[in-house]
Amino acid sequence: MQRKQLALAILMSCAGLAPNAYADDAKLKAEVEALRAEVAELRGLVHEMQAQRTQPPTPAAPVSGQSIAATAAPAAPVAANAPTAPAPTQPVATTTAGEPIPGTGGSGVALGANTSFWGYGQLDYNRPTARAGDTVADLTRAVIGFNHVFDENTRVYGEIEWEHAVASSSDKGETEIEQLYVEHALAPNYGVRVGLMLVPLGLLNEHHEPSNYYGVERNFVEQAIIPSTWREGGVAMYGSTEWGLNWNVGVGTGPNLGAWDPTADEGRISPLGSIHQELQLAKARDPSIYAAGNWQGIPGLLVGGGIFTGKIGQGNATLPVNDSRLVLSEAHVRWQPGPFDLSALYTRGTISNTQDLNLQFLGQPTPVPKSFWGGYVQGAWHALAWGNDSSLSPFLRYEMFNTAASYATQPFGLGTAPLPTQRVWTVGANYYLNPNVVFKIDYQKFHYEDVALSYGNRFDLGLGYQF
Amino acid sequence: MIAGWSLCAGKSRNVSHGLRAALCALLLAAAPGFVSGGGNTVPAQAALSALGQKIFADESLSASGKMACATCHDPKFAHAQNNALAVQSGGANLDVPGFRSVPSLRYLNLNIPFFFANDGTPTGGFNRDGRANDLVAQAERPFLAAHEMANGDAAAVVDKLSRASYADEFRGLFGADVFTKADTAFLAARYALSVYETTEPQFRPFSSKFDLFLKGKLRLSEQELRGYALFNNPNKGRCAACHLSTRQANGDPPVFTDYTYDNLGVPRNAEIPANDDPAYFDMGLCGPERTDLANRSDLCGQFKVPTLRNIVTRKVIFHNGYFKSLREAVQFYVQRDTNADKWYPADGDGAVHKFNDVPPLLTRNVNTTEGPYDRHPGDAPALSEPEIDDVMVFLATLTDGYDPATGTADPARDLPKQ
Ligand code: HEC
Ligand code: HEC
Repeated sequence: MQRKQLALAILMSCAGLAPNAYADDAKLKAEVEALRAEVAELRGLVHEMQAQRTQPPTPAAPVSGQSIAATAAPAAPVAANAPTAPAPTQPVATTTAGEPIPGTGGSGVALGANTSFWGYGQLDYNRPTARAGDTVADLTRAVIGFNHVFDENTRVYGEIEWEHAVASSSDKGETEIEQLYVEHALAPNYGVRVGLMLVPLGLLNEHHEPSNYYGVERNFVEQAIIPSTWREGGVAMYGSTEWGLNWNVGVGTGPNLGAWDPTADEGRISPLGSIHQELQLAKARDPSIYAAGNWQGIPGLLVGGGIFTGKIGQGNATLPVNDSRLVLSEAHVRWQPGPFDLSALYTRGTISNTQDLNLQFLGQPTPVPKSFWGGYVQGAWHALAWGNDSSLSPFLRYEMFNTAASYATQPFGLGTAPLPTQRVWTVGANYYLNPNVVFKIDYQKFHYEDVALSYGNRFDLGLGYQF
Repeated sequence: MIAGWSLCAGKSRNVSHGLRAALCALLLAAAPGFVSGGGNTVPAQAALSALGQKIFADESLSASGKMACATCHDPKFAHAQNNALAVQSGGANLDVPGFRSVPSLRYLNLNIPFFFANDGTPTGGFNRDGRANDLVAQAERPFLAAHEMANGDAAAVVDKLSRASYADEFRGLFGADVFTKADTAFLAARYALSVYETTEPQFRPFSSKFDLFLKGKLRLSEQELRGYALFNNPNKGRCAACHLSTRQANGDPPVFTDYTYDNLGVPRNAEIPANDDPAYFDMGLCGPERTDLANRSDLCGQFKVPTLRNIVTRKVIFHNGYFKSLREAVQFYVQRDTNADKWYPADGDGAVHKFNDVPPLLTRNVNTTEGPYDRHPGDAPALSEPEIDDVMVFLATLTDGYDPATGTADPARDLPKQ
């Protein structure tokens, strides 16, 4: 493949630049000139290829699933299960080797031959139309990531995030490690990862950078039901097949039901979001397992799904939670015919054996749900483009979700009624100043209002970038 | 002399930092040799606790010779008062009335020194106004105050201690000449009391019917469960917002208080002699007993949330002991604003004098925005009469010493067999 050769060429030129190789100044200068010319030529090639990729999908084998060995790039190889086109409208952001960086879509900046760093960020303005006093402007997140290649088969990959601008014990911000894992390719088409990894469910969790989704905020379904950004610690195997399937299976930590707070709103905002552990001294008696796949055998089409399950009592000695099992499953499809970008996703979760626990939470506002679900359909249109870089994509999304669709029954009719299903229309547009800088605007209309859960019609503005 | 070792080695949880240093220094001065004594802290704690228990029950340590800590904090009544007087009287002749009703000393083990939480909520501290930062500091007042054991000063207390039947035990723990230094010996006595209050299981037995329910050992009845749901429900009793009812983050059972403060606007109690003076108001956090927050007029009238464990064994309710019936107290919670005339006296012109135990200019401090006391005249009370019955039945499950065989509970059952 053309791009692989390109990557190799760049890597070799980089290696060639090693300073200790030349004693003679003049000779050095000449060599540098030659290399410069070569680099210019390569740059041209890269641009050409990027332009090609903005065209309606050209039949090509799935890009993902290539092993580190195959790409031999100083920056990140491709995640085995990365959808073909992480950015909704734009040329895929690439590493210096022309490979999309998994989990970023940004191009990254090389720091020497083996290390690169990258980043993304997001600033939001949310104005509830009925309660202007609750309007907030926020530096929602700023992220720095790094990728370091130890050898052609092994790398370490990490992402560090700051949320809400200021993080300290008395401020509302947080600092967190979102991903940190070592990856080792065992063969050109499969490998293993160990560490803190994003759970490969849904369209957004692994590709959560603002230029990768429509709308100022991430969709509700992939926050409330699939608790993006959801990560767990453990071991995963990833790989790809010749017929276009990228797969990822893993075993590792899971949520901790013992941490459920029946008095707080969090469990109704996102049941799993309120008890996921983020590898922060995670209670880890009960391992969870997951399996996910994305099929991209037909250009422009992505069909995928996955399941995550495990017991979530984690050996709690005081609460009746040890028999409870979480099952979260999900299916999604994304189709990009011509200038359109259409996607749909459905996900559903269950937590078993919650009667005894909820009996202790009787009357509290947030018992543990027995089931929760959500789904959305979304259509976007790459309506306008200016030059090679700028473009405008209006979109429309309809979501339905329920974070407590049912509760286990309680004696004497003392149980809590399930929550009503929320429905949200989002209409708006992403304006890409260039593929990596996006301005967003949207309006969200809710079926019902609930201030405690931040449900209420609102107008949003946002800026996102990645590199 | 192992006691000092455990204290100076920082193993003691029940003394605040500054005090520990002072105490440690004093003990070192009193008995320089004791640190090298070393040894196991467990027997040290047991020995201290045993000494503390004797002091707690010793009536000879009072001016009257008839009043001990246990007189007011009767272990059989979950370490609260055993009579229905609004306030107890102390002094040499047991005729000097106090100012507040006696709180239970159970489940104070999680209480921490007073502080303002990030959102400004006053939290922690000992006494109903939180003015003592730890149990060692707290124990000073009952020994000295004119309306309690009335010793006047440390020397008077230590003089009595030196003649107590356990004086040798005291010397064995704190040094042969400990009684020659009044301040040191007084501190040591209070330290022993604090160890007793925090380490003796009888102060936190978690032995109620509700605890057995939480452990999955029994089912509560339909009415008990209904009452529990009403107690928790944010739209009904909302009691659990302050009287926490679910396990703590570390898995420990709930103690039914969050050790914060609130102003309930409890009616003035004419039974308290100090209230004969119309200008006198007991305003909790802002004084007059507590003095450091006197300029925080927004806090006037706030008192500490007490535990509701053993609440049905309490003879009088609230800081001023105004209610003698628990049912009436719960009724007051939900009908204070819907039926104010039921709880407060009418002025000469017939207008109801609501919140009559708060100075007129500070009645706005009374909490009228949070359930269950966020209602208005004409609204339905947060709990109906049958619902109050349910809550009452639930509250009865919080009494220590539950015996499944007889279905009865008695806090006295948790006391060590004599
Ligand atoms: C005359 C009755 C009486 C005697 C005797 C008495 N107390 Fe108290 N105790 C009270 C009252 C009343 C309060 C509440 C005082 C306040 O809020 O200002 C109280 C409060 C306390 C508290 C604080 C409880 C809390 O919730 O913060 C502790 C601890 C305590 N007493 C321990 C003792 C000890 C130890 C002794 C013996 C040295 C003792 N008491 C003797 C009446 C008494
Ligand atoms: C906003 C906080 C708050 C809520 C909600 C609350 N309480 Fe209280 N509770 C307090 C405070 C503060 C006190 C102490 C008041 C005083 O002594 O003046 C108290 C005292 C009590 C007492 C007296 C305890 C004693 O030892 O004297 C009882 C009984 C009680 N509450 C029951 C309830 C019930 C039942 C509910 C629900 C209907 C409830 N509380 C809701 C704060 C609260």
